[in-house]
Amino acid sequence: MDRSNPPARPRLGPPANVHPERLAHPAHGAFVWGSLLGVWLLSLLPWRQWPASPDVLALVIAFWCAHEPRRVGLVTAFVFGLLLDVHDAGLLGGHALAYTLVAYGSVALHRRLQRFELWSQAMHMLPVFLLSQFVSQIMLAWLAGRWPGWDWALGALLTVAIWPMVGWVLLLPQRHPDDVESSAG
Amino acid sequence: MQRQGTTPPLFRRGPPAEVRLAVLVVLSLALLLVDARMRVLEPVRQLVAIALYPFQRAVMAPRDLAQQIDEWVNAANLIRSENEALQRQRIELAQVTTHAAQLAAENAQLRRLLGVADQAPQPATVVEVLYEPADAFQQRLVFNKGRKAGLAAGMPVIDEGGVVGQIVRVTPMTAEAALVTDERVSIPVQVLRNGLRLIAFGANTPGTIEVRYLAANADIREGDTIVTSGVGGLFPAGLPVARITAVERDTSSGFARALAEPLAHPERYRHFLVLQADVAQAELDKQEADLGGPQ
Repeated sequence: MDRSNPPARPRLGPPANVHPERLAHPAHGAFVWGSLLGVWLLSLLPWRQWPASPDVLALVIAFWCAHEPRRVGLVTAFVFGLLLDVHDAGLLGGHALAYTLVAYGSVALHRRLQRFELWSQAMHMLPVFLLSQFVSQIMLAWLAGRWPGWDWALGALLTVAIWPMVGWVLLLPQRHPDDVESSAG
Repeated sequence: MQRQGTTPPLFRRGPPAEVRLAVLVVLSLALLLVDARMRVLEPVRQLVAIALYPFQRAVMAPRDLAQQIDEWVNAANLIRSENEALQRQRIELAQVTTHAAQLAAENAQLRRLLGVADQAPQPATVVEVLYEPADAFQQRLVFNKGRKAGLAAGMPVIDEGGVVGQIVRVTPMTAEAALVTDERVSIPVQVLRNGLRLIAFGANTPGTIEVRYLAANADIREGDTIVTSGVGGLFPAGLPVARITAVERDTSSGFARALAEPLAHPERYRHFLVLQADVAQAELDKQEADLGGPQ
């Protein structure tokens, strides 16, 4: 029997869910923009009719704002928001406002987020998604003269709940440097 | 060659995120306010909508294909059940038709006697739902035909049950209709039983129409059918709109309010008929009425 127990964990240092050495490889630009475009096209489909459906487009924008803040930022979020406003035939600026705020929250937290694993990232983003949606809904409710209910809050919770899954998929190419090499060539 | 893969300097030396945030938030708030209060932003929306259209069609293509395959596979069943329904309808309608023909002839004769002008029959366009926008604040449908097919804002949309809604915005290829249950739609109606003229408003919950501004003693009861009255010129007279489900009489204010359930079922069908009403003429009539109104 091997009696050489590993030394006890030091109490100091980064907590267990922090991995500073992770994600050394930057994402490929085509992959970032391709995923954004793909999710935007997905958002044009009718599945978002359920009022509490998770906002995958906001999620992917926020994710890239956190992981690639030099490529994807507030302007991208604003433009995609505006496109969605026109598609949804709503007031111009509703989605744009929410997405800009989400992107800002994500950019402001990006150094911190990059150090955490995906579930902890999701917990960090929960208030960001809730607050940004809240501001946008308050504005829309004020202009429409009535409160639409709390479905959007459930939507924000679901968005946060699928953050780890979507994040895992978006990080796949960066986990395997060989794939990045081959797709770059 | 060495520059490949590096980000352009624009993104590194751009203004700080806070400045961008402030600018974009102010911009979105301004857009919201302007779009809610004025119609200045319509050209911008049109441009974006035209750019969006190919993407929308491309994304919807698989869904449309799946629907077509489904319809094709179930064609025999579909045709059999449709045939049965049509047979039944034919027998039911045969009697009504002869009666209606007789009434129409009589009506035409009376109209000639009285010198009342005949209503010109309106051309109509069949449209299909392209998609249903996801928005908690309004009830809309987007159709697959637009200005190029002769549609214009203001035209009524009907299905076999009755009035579905009204076109509110058109782009060259698509048209957006507000359902009768959308709060921005109001239709001049009358009670079929006694001819009482009223105005029906969308209550903005699916499946509810409100009839407001009734005198507390107005003769309207549960079960009454309301049809378009033809006042205002856009909606032709006699299209079924809704059936009254509840009447709330408030004796303190002296007014009553009735809730109604629409007779059309936009959630069940994908094809609708847009009546190409003379929108320009109706607008002109309204202006004349407004000018002549206050004396």
